[in-house]
Amino acid sequence: MPKLNLPSVKPASDAMSDIGNQVWHESLCFTSYGVRVGIRLNRKGALKQILSYLPPGWKESRSKNVNRLYSFVIGDKTSRGKRKRLNLVYADENKVAETPKLDQAIDAFEADLQLFVADTAPRRVFVHAGVVGLRGKAIVIPGRSFSGKTSLVAALVKAGAIYYSDEYAVLDERGRVHHYARPLSVRENGHLAKPKKYRVELLGGKSGTKPLPVGMVVVSKYQAGARWRPRRLSEGEGALELMANTVSARRQPEAMLEAIREVVSLAPVLKGPRGEARQVVEFLLKSFASR
Amino acid sequence: MKRETADLMPEARREGLVVQELSGEVLVYDRERDKAHCLNSTAALVWQYCDGKTPVSQIARAIEREINSPVDEDIIWLGVEQLGKTNLLRERATLPSHKSGLSRRDVMKRIGLAAAVALPVVTSILAPTAAQAANCLPSGAACTSPAQCCSGLCPSGTCP
Repeated sequence: MPKLNLPSVKPASDAMSDIGNQVWHESLCFTSYGVRVGIRLNRKGALKQILSYLPPGWKESRSKNVNRLYSFVIGDKTSRGKRKRLNLVYADENKVAETPKLDQAIDAFEADLQLFVADTAPRRVFVHAGVVGLRGKAIVIPGRSFSGKTSLVAALVKAGAIYYSDEYAVLDERGRVHHYARPLSVRENGHLAKPKKYRVELLGGKSGTKPLPVGMVVVSKYQAGARWRPRRLSEGEGALELMANTVSARRQPEAMLEAIREVVSLAPVLKGPRGEARQVVEFLLKSFASR
Repeated sequence: MKRETADLMPEARREGLVVQELSGEVLVYDRERDKAHCLNSTAALVWQYCDGKTPVSQIARAIEREINSPVDEDIIWLGVEQLGKTNLLRERATLPSHKSGLSRRDVMKRIGLAAAVALPVVTSILAPTAAQAANCLPSGAACTSPAQCCSGLCPSGTCP
C-alpha cells in the first residue's frame, strides 16, 4: 500500500494519537473561505461519497497542516460477520457522530464542518441567512432553522432571482455578500423530516458568484395566515437582528460590527411575520423593479 | 458598587467594549458579557457625556446646547439608569430618592409631547454562540443539549 501523506493538526493531543492508531486509506486537504481542513478515512473509496458535502467553493490544498482534522472510522462487519460496528466521525479529538448509518455520520460531519468554517473564516463574517440576488443587489433573509428562509429563497429563485445561499450570508468588510451556493435543503414532509437537497438548476434557477452589495434585509418568520406588512427597522435595530444570527459574533465582534454597519447603512431592514412566500416575493419584485 | 447622590457624575465604561457608530445610533458589543446593545440617539448622547466629571444636571444642559432644544433632566436620569442596568457605566448608579422608580411612562406623561428629544432607549441581545447561530444538528450527530438537535431531543448524547 502506498504511504499516504496524511493531514495533521498541531499540536496533536493524546486522544488524537488514539484515533491515529487506525490505518488510514484515503485523505484530503482543502481550503474553504481561508480555513484549512483535512479529512482521513479508514476505508478506501469512501472519500468520493463525502466530497459533495464539502462547503461550496472548496479547493484542494497541498499543505498538510490544517486547522481541523476530521477522521472517519467507518464501521465494518465484525470478524463474526453478524453485527456491524458503528460509524464514527471525529473533529480533531472530539467525536461528532456515532451511528450505524453512514449517511447520518456524513450529515453530522457536514454540519460540524460548515459551522467550523463559518466560525473561524478569516476576513469573512457568516450570518445565518438565505441570500438571493436581484438587479445587482443582494436580498438577505436572516433566520434560524425552521424560520422558513429556504422556502422564501426557493420562491424567489423560481421568480427569477439569482441564488446565493440558503444557509449563510458571507459578508466581507465592505458589507458585500459572497456566495455560499450549496444545494438548497428543503424539508418537504414536516419540519422534523430530513431535508432533501436540490440543486438550484432543478428549480429553474442559477447561482451567482459575483459579490453583491446588500439591497435589502428581510427579517421574517412564517406564520400560517399572517399578512406581510413589514415595519422598517432603524439601522441599530436592524444590526441587532443580523448580529443575533452571526456565527462568529463572540469570536470576532469587531469584524462583525464593521461588516454589519456597512450593510445597515446601505440597505433597509424590514421585519414582520409572513404567510405564504408568494406575498413577500411579489413585494420584493415590485420594490426592486422601481429601483 | 452603587452610588446614590443627586450630584451623581456618571462615567461611561470604555474597557472591554467594541463600539460602532451608526447614523444617530451607537452599537456597543460587551466582550465581558457577550451582549450587544443598540443605543438610540438620546441614550448615545447621554453616554457620550458621562465622563465622570459632569453631574446629571449639567449633562442635560450640554445636550441642550448640542441639539439646540430644551432637555428635561429626567430624560438624562432615565438614560443613566438604563446605561447602568446594561453595564455601560463604570459604576451602577442608583437614582436619588426623588427620582427612584422613574419609568419611561412617568417621564412621557410628565413631559409628553413637549419633549424635543426621544426618550433614551438601550436595546440589548445576548450574542449567540456559534452553535446557536447555526442550523440544528441532524440525526446521528453528537449533542450536548436538546436545543441543538432538529428533533428537539438529545437522548444519550446523540440526536435521534
